[in-house]
Amino acid sequence: MSDLSVSMSAAGGPVPSMALPEAPAKVTARGLNFFYGENQALKNINLTLGTHRVTAFIGPSGCGKSTLLRVFNRMYDLYPGQRATGQVMLDQTNILDPKLDLNLLRARVGMVFQKPTPFPMTIYENIAFGIRLYEKIPKSEMDGRVEKALRGGALWNEVKDKLSASGLSLSGGQQQRLCIARTVAVRPEVILFDEPCSALDPISTAKIEELIQELAEDYTIAIVTHNMQQAARVSDKTAFMYLGELIEFDETSKIFTSPSDRRTQDYITGRFG
Amino acid sequence: MEAAGPYDRARALNAFKLGDVTFYWITRACAISVLLILGGIILSLIAGAWPAIKAYGLSFLFASRWAPSAEPPVLGALGPIYGTLVTSAIAMLIAIPVGLGIAIFLTELCPQWLRRPIGIAVELLAGIPSIIYGMWGFFVLGPFMADTFQPFMIRLFDGVPVLGSIFAGPPSYLSLFNAALILAIMVLPFITSISVDVFKTVPPVLKEAAYGVGCTTWEVIRNVVIPYTRVGVIGGIMLALGRALGETMAVTFIIGNSFRISSSVFAPGTTISAAIASEFAESDGLHQSGLILLGLLLFVLTFFVLASARLMLMRLKKKAGD
Repeated sequence: MSDLSVSMSAAGGPVPSMALPEAPAKVTARGLNFFYGENQALKNINLTLGTHRVTAFIGPSGCGKSTLLRVFNRMYDLYPGQRATGQVMLDQTNILDPKLDLNLLRARVGMVFQKPTPFPMTIYENIAFGIRLYEKIPKSEMDGRVEKALRGGALWNEVKDKLSASGLSLSGGQQQRLCIARTVAVRPEVILFDEPCSALDPISTAKIEELIQELAEDYTIAIVTHNMQQAARVSDKTAFMYLGELIEFDETSKIFTSPSDRRTQDYITGRFG
Repeated sequence: MEAAGPYDRARALNAFKLGDVTFYWITRACAISVLLILGGIILSLIAGAWPAIKAYGLSFLFASRWAPSAEPPVLGALGPIYGTLVTSAIAMLIAIPVGLGIAIFLTELCPQWLRRPIGIAVELLAGIPSIIYGMWGFFVLGPFMADTFQPFMIRLFDGVPVLGSIFAGPPSYLSLFNAALILAIMVLPFITSISVDVFKTVPPVLKEAAYGVGCTTWEVIRNVVIPYTRVGVIGGIMLALGRALGETMAVTFIIGNSFRISSSVFAPGTTISAAIASEFAESDGLHQSGLILLGLLLFVLTFFVLASARLMLMRLKKKAGD
């Protein structure tokens, strides 16, 4: 792949100067296959999420990008008949190890979903709930942690006067930021975003994109999106997937300016199909 | 074939219209007949109960002496009312945790292959006629409880204040407690099947989000599934309560039909419906009117319980629709 990209960039123009230095690996997938029953949804995926980098996954519906995300926190384990083979390392831990403590894994790998999913409790409790699962801390310290998390979710100024209101009373964009704050509150190492803006208006989307870039200073981020401008705006690296295969994985600027594979080219220019 | 002209088309439509109107009136009549029957039942209950209402007034509710063969008959409904409330309360105390437990197991924990057998078993439980529960309670459960569980509880709480008088001897085949136990088994399928249905309304993504912050299954159920479905579960419990209040045949078999109020749950007692069932055939005059008044009381009681259940289920549907 790297040989190819060098030759392509030689042919297609200079390598964009904004490329970041290679980050140490946080999550590494090797020979990952995934099955829904008999159906193979991921085929031999090999890729690395760089520490404190934003990696975007793009591709047409059903290409396996959400499935891949759900492997990183073993969410598929909730459903019988879904299984993964191969190896996915989170630092030194094999995520696919059947003996792995899933609750701890999910504390290390947080997830934000397509639709906002506030729990049926107050705004304060939505945040405190996750913290309480792992730590027993006094009320005063909890207040601080909740505030910090809500600030982390860029929501504090909007909700500080109504922390005891229901999480469901917020607008869609606020709910999504509440979910991000909730995820941040348990201090994960990796945050997975599964089309986090697809149910939101443009202003909320912009806020969340900004937030994702800020979060990348402290967390390793993977984001699935259908919006290619979004991938271009927020991510450092982009993976293009098609029919369960990883077609191309490279610097975002390169994917969107001079992709190596024809299929990537066709997809990002909207000629796909 | 000749194409239909505009005239033919209009006539054809007219024929349909007549059919539509007839159909509308037939279905409407069917629907209205339900209202008429319901109204008729209420009216005849009130009419039948009127002599007793005039004779006893409010004291009917608070007097405990039931002596229909006295002259004039002395009728106080406190015994049956007490029995109805106590058996239903104990039944719910047993059925709610067990029913919810089954529902949680079925929706969240059960391996796929075991789901159907248990689900079907629960539904079959609802299909057993109450007379069979009555016979089983009379011949099997009653003696079993009187020989094992009751003596154990009586010995265990002997001398303990309050509890000692609730679980007081002697053990009896026919008792409030045995009736409550049968009721619990009978209403279990209601609680389970409604809870299963409302647990299924929890969006999977909400559960995933809870698992996603690292919740265990128990934490997800306690903090997300139950709060989200609380209203619906309560609605299901109320429906079960309505059933328990009105259940007649099985209870009549095993409650002992005693109008005396005893503090012990192991003593025989009676419920409103059991009292009516066991006495109605030999009653006349004021006695019969008193029994009809009992029926009216039960009707009002269950009406309120069921109405509040419906209200809660409706609120849940609204919430799910948002």
